[in-house]
Amino acid sequence: MGVVRKKSTPLTVVRYILVLVVVAWAIFLIYWGVVTSLKPPAETFTITGISIPFLQFQPTLENWRTELSTRESRFTLANSVVVAVLATLVAMLLGVPAGYALARFQFRRMKNRDLTVWFLSQRVLPPVVVVIPFFLLMRTLKLLDTQLALILLNATFTLPFAVVISRQAFQELPAELEEAAAVDGCSDFTAFFRIAFPLAAPTLVAVAAICVAFTWNEFLFALALTSLKAKTFPVYLAGAEDTRGVQFWFMATRAILALGPPTVLALLIQRYIVRGLTFGAVKG
Amino acid sequence: MSLKNRSIKYAFILPGIFWVLAFTIFPLFYSFSLSFFRVRLGKPARFVGLDNFLRLFGDYKLGNSLRITLIYVAITVSIQVILGILIALLFNQEMKGKSLFRALLILPIFCTPVAVGYLGLTVFYEEGGPINSILMSLFDWKIPWLSQPFWAWVAVLLLDIWQWTPFCFLVVLAGLQSLPDEVYDAAYLDSASEWEIFRKITFPMIQPVVIIVLLLRLIESFKIFDVVYSLTGGGPGTATEVYSLYTYRTGLKFFDFGYASALGYLLLAMVMVIVNLFFRRVRQVYE
Repeated sequence: MGVVRKKSTPLTVVRYILVLVVVAWAIFLIYWGVVTSLKPPAETFTITGISIPFLQFQPTLENWRTELSTRESRFTLANSVVVAVLATLVAMLLGVPAGYALARFQFRRMKNRDLTVWFLSQRVLPPVVVVIPFFLLMRTLKLLDTQLALILLNATFTLPFAVVISRQAFQELPAELEEAAAVDGCSDFTAFFRIAFPLAAPTLVAVAAICVAFTWNEFLFALALTSLKAKTFPVYLAGAEDTRGVQFWFMATRAILALGPPTVLALLIQRYIVRGLTFGAVKG
Repeated sequence: MSLKNRSIKYAFILPGIFWVLAFTIFPLFYSFSLSFFRVRLGKPARFVGLDNFLRLFGDYKLGNSLRITLIYVAITVSIQVILGILIALLFNQEMKGKSLFRALLILPIFCTPVAVGYLGLTVFYEEGGPINSILMSLFDWKIPWLSQPFWAWVAVLLLDIWQWTPFCFLVVLAGLQSLPDEVYDAAYLDSASEWEIFRKITFPMIQPVVIIVLLLRLIESFKIFDVVYSLTGGGPGTATEVYSLYTYRTGLKFFDFGYASALGYLLLAMVMVIVNLFFRRVRQVYE
């Protein structure tokens, strides 16, 4: 915790007001989206100022009902869920054992540290550099507009999170438990599955949540590789403007629908966010 | 900690390594070879040597998007980091509702960037959007947010700053809270001023954290695509056509795959230069 300092009263009040201003600024966009989605379409442009619900207008769930009963928004939401969950599963299946190996075994030809940085370096790559080769590759493989293509790619992009953070989680566990298990005749695999894996589970769940959120938010590749069947929700959202003009009530409803799942996940794993997003470089 | 040296380790790590080779290294090579060809949809590829790279030099649209992107990265990253540090200092004390406030500040980081762009569209709406309607009632003045190049650019910057300042804040706050209290006690006894304490004690101690934040934001900022795509579509004209958007359009709208690959490689080279400046520090972290 920070130091508790003696402060004269006025300064503390000023600080508190500043804090509230910062918080208001941070949630304004989301607030505005929610409020706009609750406005009756006819009143979208007539309600002025910051549009406080109930006070300035009677909120309605009409936009949400319409949106959720639209076939296209339902199946794009479903696509997003399927891609996010399966990509995360693949990333975890590949990444967690690799993280474990980097934490527990010694690699000689390329040192553990360098292997870790190698896995990490993929995050440096601007996605637009590889979008064309992937597009051509998926076209050759007849995988354009399939969920499988998006799953493969997103698993790749989220793999560094899985490797680097699970490595750190395993490093923080005492190795003695697994050593004792080995003395009792437990194989390395059993030691990993039965002992290390459950102990690291909370961190691993948080990593998985981060992978789901990143895959959910991914836009560039979903835009390039899908057109109809495998379209994810963000791509559907991006098409909304062209198809329906400036219908802000739908736009806001969809935007909130898009950012809802990842933000809720983020709140559930708050404790791990700093560590997760800095790849373990800063401990939260 | 002693590290075991058994061959089973390969069973754990090789799947991951092969995956990265297949899905990162291979496309990079593929893209590299593409950049020496003239590849268009429906036509056979033709080897053109360095033509695509030479074309980079005379491409005024590239010059435009490169300039926009570099200025954007410089401005947005410095504002985010500085604001992040200031807000972290503001939050680094006991206060009522701190954990709630902190939780609310996490929200922007995880918002779908495309959705942020569209919410921006509703907020920056020129006739009756919340910002302009408040400006109108106070000053009888409104900002041509999306119709004028300069303001469109400001709108993109504002959205990006909105989304990523909380990230800088969160990480710097974590750094601040890991500092031992003792160092401050002595400083307070010496009755040093707030600014002096920050400059001589706090900042040097959180500097490693600030550098990590800076590096991560630099890398991510070069990738900007989603917000621009949804808020301005690169417009008006090409006023906000950032590098990724220009490359994307060259490749996947005009299907000039070879030239787009060359564009991609130029971007990669720039990012690599930046990362290399930080490389030793990054390796230290994973010792």
